[in-house]
Amino acid sequence: MARPDRQRVVVVGGGTSGWMTAAALVKLLPERCHVHLIESESIGIIGVGEATLPHIRAFNERLGIVEAEFMATTRATFKLGIEFRDWGRIGDSYIHPFGTFGRGTGDVQFHHYYARLLHAGVQLPPIEAFSMACTLARTNRFALPSSDPRQIASTFGYAYQFDAVAFAPYLRRFAEALGAQRTEGKIVDAERDGESGDVTAVVLEDGRRIQGDLFVDCSGFASLLIGKTLGEPFQDWSRWLPADRAVALPCRTATAVTPYTSAIAMPAGWRWRIPLQHRTGNGYVFASAFASEEQATDALTAAIEGAPMATPRVLRFKAGRRERSWAHNVVAIGLSGGFLEPLESTSIYLVQQAITALVELFPEHRVAPVDRDEFNRIVDMEYDRVRDFLILHYHATLRDDSEFWNYVRTMPIPDSLAEKMDLFRRRGRIVKYREGAFLDASWVSVYLGQRVTPAGFDPRAAGPSIESLIAGMEQMQAEIRAAATAMPDHLTYLARYCPMPTAA
Amino acid sequence: MTSLDDPVRSVAVVGGGIVGWSAAVALKRRMPGLAVTIVATPPPANALADHMAHTLPSVIGFHDDLGLREEDAVLRAGGSWRLGTLFESWSQQHPGYVHAYGPYGQPFGTASFHHHWVRAAHAGSAAPYDAHAPAAMLARAGRIAASEPEPGSPFAGIQAGLVLDVDRYRAMLEAFARHLGVDIRDGHVTQVRLRGEDGFIENLALDNDSAVEADLFIDAAGPEGVVRGAIDARWEDWQPWLRCDRLLAAEGPPTAPSPLDQVTALPVGWRWRTATPTRTLHGLCYSSTLLSDTDAHRLLAEAGGAETSAPPIAFTQGTRPEPWARNCVAVGDAATVIEPLEWTNLHLAHSAIDRIVAMMPGRACHPLEVADYNRQAAAEVTRVRDFVLCHYATASRPEQFWQPAIDLPPSLAHTLALFAERGRLPFFEEETFARDSWLAVLLSQGLLPRRIDPLIEATPPAQSDAAMAGFRAAIASTLPHFPTAAQHHAAQLGRIAR
Repeated sequence: MARPDRQRVVVVGGGTSGWMTAAALVKLLPERCHVHLIESESIGIIGVGEATLPHIRAFNERLGIVEAEFMATTRATFKLGIEFRDWGRIGDSYIHPFGTFGRGTGDVQFHHYYARLLHAGVQLPPIEAFSMACTLARTNRFALPSSDPRQIASTFGYAYQFDAVAFAPYLRRFAEALGAQRTEGKIVDAERDGESGDVTAVVLEDGRRIQGDLFVDCSGFASLLIGKTLGEPFQDWSRWLPADRAVALPCRTATAVTPYTSAIAMPAGWRWRIPLQHRTGNGYVFASAFASEEQATDALTAAIEGAPMATPRVLRFKAGRRERSWAHNVVAIGLSGGFLEPLESTSIYLVQQAITALVELFPEHRVAPVDRDEFNRIVDMEYDRVRDFLILHYHATLRDDSEFWNYVRTMPIPDSLAEKMDLFRRRGRIVKYREGAFLDASWVSVYLGQRVTPAGFDPRAAGPSIESLIAGMEQMQAEIRAAATAMPDHLTYLARYCPMPTAA
Repeated sequence: MTSLDDPVRSVAVVGGGIVGWSAAVALKRRMPGLAVTIVATPPPANALADHMAHTLPSVIGFHDDLGLREEDAVLRAGGSWRLGTLFESWSQQHPGYVHAYGPYGQPFGTASFHHHWVRAAHAGSAAPYDAHAPAAMLARAGRIAASEPEPGSPFAGIQAGLVLDVDRYRAMLEAFARHLGVDIRDGHVTQVRLRGEDGFIENLALDNDSAVEADLFIDAAGPEGVVRGAIDARWEDWQPWLRCDRLLAAEGPPTAPSPLDQVTALPVGWRWRTATPTRTLHGLCYSSTLLSDTDAHRLLAEAGGAETSAPPIAFTQGTRPEPWARNCVAVGDAATVIEPLEWTNLHLAHSAIDRIVAMMPGRACHPLEVADYNRQAAAEVTRVRDFVLCHYATASRPEQFWQPAIDLPPSLAHTLALFAERGRLPFFEEETFARDSWLAVLLSQGLLPRRIDPLIEATPPAQSDAAMAGFRAAIASTLPHFPTAAQHHAAQLGRIAR
C-alpha cells in the first residue's frame, strides 16, 4: 500500500487516457508516486482515437511495450497516413502521409520544384506520387521503414490503427503489474481544502473517500474535477469547428484492410473508416446544427461497407479546451481537458503529450506554480496548433453543396491560420515550427490536396532547368514505385508480424 | 488565385565589412539569378559583427552552403579553430568552467544526463560539470580533433568555431564576390531616397555622385542603420539588462596556441584572451559609467600585457524589433547590437542572411512575408540576448556592476525560474544555443536546481556516479591521441603548402 514518502496520485477515470497516464507514471516514476485509478464499469469508455500518429511509438517504446505483442492484442493494423476523400471538391482524394515528399532533404523543399513545374504547364501526377508513404498506401503494401537514410524506403513513418477498447485493458494489466492500484466505483463528489482550494479527496457513491496529493482528471467529457469541481473555464472553438456529434458503428470489413485511415467528407461533416484486423471502425462526425442524429445515423448506416457489428452509438462534444489544463493540484488529461475531433487522429497524441509533460514536470507534494505554468504552456501550444490545422481542412474547400460546407467555407478563421494560408497561397511558404504535431509535409499535403495552390514558389527552385527537374522527378517516382513494389501486401505483413489471437 | 508580385531581380548590400561581403556572396551564390551590388563602405569601428574575430561553429555550415572549402575559408584566410571558452571569476564561489560546443555527458536511463549530475552535486560528490564534456576537456588540454571523430567515440558530436583574421577573411570574401560577379561599388551613402507612393527605397545616392538602385536593400553598414534607419528608427533598448557599452581590443605576439579562449569577469565588465597560432588577441568589454577610458587602457595593458592606442569602441546594446521594413532589411549591427560575450555577433548576421535567402519575398515585400521574417528573427534574437544575459543573471560577484538591477525579460525569467526549481529548460522556437550550452553555463555558474528530477530516482546514486566516472575515464584515456593546437596548425600549414 501507499508509502508515506510517495505522492498519492489519484487518476479519475479509466479508459485510454486514464490507463495511459497510470502506466506511464508507475513505469517512469516508480519511486515517486503511488498511482490509484478509480473507474466505474457502469460508465464505459469513449475509446477515442482508434487511429494514431507515429508519436505513439515513442510512448510505447519508453514504456518498454513490445510492438508485435501490442499490435496483436489490440488487433492493430499499420497506418501510413490518412486519405481525405471529397474534401476540396466531391470526387477529390488525397493522402496526408507520415513522411516526406521527395527525399525531404536539401535546402529547398520538394513542393517548390513541384509548383515550378506546374506553373510551367508541365503535366504532373498528384504530389503523392512522390511520397513513399502515399505510394505504399495506395497499393496496400507495408514493411517497416529502412533505417538507412540513403534509402528511399527510409522516408516514411508509421502509426497504428487499433482497437482502443482493447488498449485500455492492455495498459491496465501493464500498470497493475507495476503496482498501480485500481478501485471500482463511481465518483459523486470531491472535497477541497478550505484554504488553498486544492482537491483533497474524491468521494465514491458508496461513501468511500479516496485521498490524494495530485489528481489527474481523465473522466472524459464529464470533466469531474477540472470542470465540475474547479470550474476552470472552457474556451469554445465551435465557431470554427462546428461538429458537435459523432455516431459510431463498426462493421465487418468488406473491402481492403488498408494501411491508412480514411476521412470521407459528408453533407454535414465527415466520416471515418478505420480498418482493424478483425473489423472496420466507422463514424460520422457531424454538426447538429446542420443534421439531426437520425439523419446522420441513417447516412452512416447507408455508407458503411459491411454488415454492422453493433448498434449505432451517438457521442456529443464541443470543440475547445480548458483555459488551463492544470489548475490547483488537478491535471486534466484527455477529453476532460479539451476536445478536438479525430479528423487528424490527434486525440491520443494530445493525451500522450500531456502525459509526457506531466512526467517531466512532476510536482512535489505541494504544486509549484512554475511546474504548472510550463505544463499549461506546452499543452496550450499543442492544442492551438492542432486547432488551426483542423480548421484548414474545413475552410479550404470549394464545396457549396450543403449548408454545412457553405458555412465552413465562408466562416471567419483565426488570424493565425489566415496568415499561414496566405503565406502558402503566395509563395508556397510553410510557417516554420520545430515543435508540434504537424510539420511542413503535413501542411503541404492538405493545401495541395484541397486545391490551395501557391501562386509562386521559392525563387531558388527556378535555378535548375525544367528538363532536369522533370528527369529528376521521373527518376524519383520510379525509385519509389520500385521500392514499394518490393514490399509485401499489408495483410500478408500483418499475418506474419502480429496476427491477432484466433480466439478474438 | 492570389496574384503574385514579380520576383526580386536585384539586391543592393550596403557595408563593406565581413557582414556585407557575406551577404553579397551568399545571395549571389545561392540565388544566382539575382543581380547583386555591394556598396563596400568600410564599416565603422562600432560594427561589432564586422570586427569580432571569434565565431560560433555555425560559420562552418555557412561556408558549406556557399561551397567554400576549408582550405580557402579557414586555412588560407588565416583562421584558426576554437573549441570553447573558459569562463573565470564569473561566480566567486565556483571555479572557472568551459563552455564548449558539443555534448555534456552521455545519456543513460530515461532522463537527461544533467539530472544525474545535479543529484551528485547535491550530495557533494560531483566532478566539475565540464569534466563530462569531451570538447571542453580537449580544449583544456590544448588539443584539437584533426578530423571528424568516429561515431560512438565520446568525442563524436563536438563542434568547433573559428578565430578569424578579419582582414584576410574579408579579402577572401571580396575575391570570391568578384569571382561570382557581384557588382562592387565604392563610396558612402549620402542619401536614401524613398518612393512617394509607398515609402519604399527608390535608390541610394553615393558621395561619388552615383546612385544605386535595387529591388531590395540590405543594410549591413553598422549600428547607425544608414539605410534601414531612413524608414523608421524603432529600437528596443537592452541597456537596463546589458550594461557594457565600451570595447577595447588589442593584439600581441603569438604564444603557445590554444583552442580555448579565456573570458574573465572583472569588477566592471570582462576581458578576453585568445592565443591563436599567429597572434594573441586581447580585449576588454566594460561599462563606461563605472570605468574611464584611460583606466580601461591601463587595465588591458596590465591584464594582457598588450597595449593599444586606438580609442575604445562605444556601442549601445539593443535590437530593431522589425529588422525588415518595406524593401529594406537590416543585418549585423544594423539589426542587433550585442556585446561579444559568447561571440554571437557574426552568427546573428549569418543567420539573418540565411533567413533572407530562405524567405525571399517578391518585389512588393508583402507585409505578411515580412512579418513572418520579423517574427522568426525576433524569436532568435530574443533567445540569444537571454543566453548572453544569463551569464550576468547567474553570476555572483560583489561589485556594483554585478548587482541585479531590474526585472529580467519574461522569457529569461521563466527559463531561470523553471531551471532553478527543477533543472528543466523550457522550449522556445528559434533557439540558437543548444540545451547543453545552457546547462554548461547555468550549472557551472552555480545555479543548482533545488529539486532532483524524479525520473532518475529509479537509478541508484552509486550507479550514476559510476557511469559518470566511467565517462570521464573514457575521455581522459582518449585525450592524448589528439594533436596539440600547435601540432595541428603545423599539419594544416603543410596541407595548404602541398
